[in-house]
Amino acid sequence: MIFESGREVVIRVRGLAKSFGSNRIWTSLDLDVFRGEILAIVGGSGQGKSVLMRVITGLEKPDAGDVGLFGHNAKTLSPQDRLTIEKRWGILFQDGALFSSLTVLQNIQVPMREHLKLPQAMMDDLAFLKLTMVGLPPDAAYKFPSELSGGMRKRAGLARALALDPEIVFLDEPTAGLDPIGASDFDHLIRKLQQTLGLTVYMVTHDLDTIFTVADRVAVLADKKIVRTGSPSELQHHPNHPWIKEYFCGERARAASPGQRPRIPA
Amino acid sequence: MLKRDHQVVLPTQARAPGFRVELKGTTFRLVATGAWTVAEATQLDSALKRLRVPIPPTPDFTGEMDIAGIAEIDTAGAWLLQRTASAWQASGLRTHYAGATESFRILIEEVQSRGNAKRPVLEKQNPLLQFADDMTRALTGVWQDVVQLTAFLGEVTAGFVRMIRQPWRFRVTSFVHHLDHAGLRAVPIIALICFLIGAVVMQQGVVQLRPFGAEPFAVNMVAILALREVGILLTAIMVAGRSGSAFTAEIGSMKMREEIDAMRTLGIDPIDTLVLPRVLALVVALPLLTFLGDIMGLAGGGVMAFGVLGLDFASYMDKLHEAVDFQHFMAGMIKAPFAAIIIGLVGCLEGLKVEGSAESLGKHVTSAVVKAIFLVIILDAIFAMFLSGIGV
Repeated sequence: MIFESGREVVIRVRGLAKSFGSNRIWTSLDLDVFRGEILAIVGGSGQGKSVLMRVITGLEKPDAGDVGLFGHNAKTLSPQDRLTIEKRWGILFQDGALFSSLTVLQNIQVPMREHLKLPQAMMDDLAFLKLTMVGLPPDAAYKFPSELSGGMRKRAGLARALALDPEIVFLDEPTAGLDPIGASDFDHLIRKLQQTLGLTVYMVTHDLDTIFTVADRVAVLADKKIVRTGSPSELQHHPNHPWIKEYFCGERARAASPGQRPRIPA
Repeated sequence: MLKRDHQVVLPTQARAPGFRVELKGTTFRLVATGAWTVAEATQLDSALKRLRVPIPPTPDFTGEMDIAGIAEIDTAGAWLLQRTASAWQASGLRTHYAGATESFRILIEEVQSRGNAKRPVLEKQNPLLQFADDMTRALTGVWQDVVQLTAFLGEVTAGFVRMIRQPWRFRVTSFVHHLDHAGLRAVPIIALICFLIGAVVMQQGVVQLRPFGAEPFAVNMVAILALREVGILLTAIMVAGRSGSAFTAEIGSMKMREEIDAMRTLGIDPIDTLVLPRVLALVVALPLLTFLGDIMGLAGGGVMAFGVLGLDFASYMDKLHEAVDFQHFMAGMIKAPFAAIIIGLVGCLEGLKVEGSAESLGKHVTSAVVKAIFLVIILDAIFAMFLSGIGV
């Protein structure tokens, strides 16, 4: 385990570089994710926010640099160890990425079935528990993903990500495409799950409301690296970077900032 | 999972989960220790199921879930504790938790409140009724298919008439593209298959006719078979598999991504833009491919005739001239445009029937190929009856 200023670092990224063709998206990117925090990654489009998540979770290989997962270097992990680590996180993809041929309940049970030998009755109970925890009505359990609305698919995807009680969840644009009420519900849900399950939340987002209401820390991707990290109010009051200034002090940011809206208590 | 705050746990201690039940005064205590996590849940589950629910001798007995010894807990562990606690509660013991940290307490309360949610009951159907239901659905499905296909034929014909009136609306690029994909690119495979089948039929014909001394007639058989049936059938089946399925997949995935709906709202008729170019491309391509198939079938027969009968090219051609006339050739060719219409219509119609999921796409692609081949063979049978009726 790695500690820094008294907090455990669960993910440590150092010197990451990645390019697609002639397009270099990062040259040397450093990032730490601490246990128990809600970290929001922001950045303009094309800065590689989603790619960073894919690199950390091993879906994509970086050109250079190291990714440390729970104190292990991702490069030197054996497939066996990698699997053990993969069981410790859950990923919510943008549109839920539910398996379309399975019902919601079966979707939630996929990780349990794959990695553990649990009796069916217990899997059913646990899946129902996860289903209600993410705020889905119980009768959604037997529906197929194509019968659900976008917001419900996201919740079901989150329930699947939480199936094995992970330590970290990665959320890719969790509130994109939701109406303001649904998005606000989702913010509360993330905070609540983070408290109940002791989760570390890594989220890629554009949503200023989400950032101001739930994020503990924000990491800003610009100029081919993480230019700054800090709490949302810190970044708003001392931007020190043109992009951050535009993002956190723009018209929309002023409307969403904590003066106007109460923060969900941690 | 939640770890007990500020506590050093030895790895072995943390891993081994367990519990014991003891009676202390008037309190039944379940003392839980170790890691109550999903990885250990199976073991805990069976041990807890073996545990008998204590029956309180008098009402003032209470229950206690002592979780002070638990090092790690997650929803699965909390759920197991909660299940035990509610069983005790149901037997008349007032049960409470002891030794929970703040974070453990939040989790347990969450599981408690969520666990009580009502679940929907899945209706189970009588298997016989289910069977009868499925049969009815399958039969009405056949009828619906007939109706839909006829209606679609009407729509496409109307679209065709519109196109004749306003020829500038015809999508030439799309037509050429599909002509290339469905026609030109199918040439090698169709040529090869027809050539091989022609050769095989010739070889088998010679072997079977030899006992009667009639092996030269194998040439007649191959020539008539190739021109009337094999050329068109093989080609149509290949095209149904290659292009019919491709049409369904292309149109189906557009349907899935709401592209078809977008077209409709923009005032573009999907029949004009998607269906007509495809169907017309097939109507042009399939007769050409059939002609190719006929020739290759005859060529395959010729090569094999040289091999097993020792017929050289000139005498093979002479025999062909004796065996077949133009009518035989036309009896095969006339079916090609009809088969093309069937394959094109079925492929496009199935594509338009695709709904949201990827599974639905797969189902419709399969059914497009199956239906197209089935209908092509029916068509062939109808033509056989008709042609023999008029004496061709």
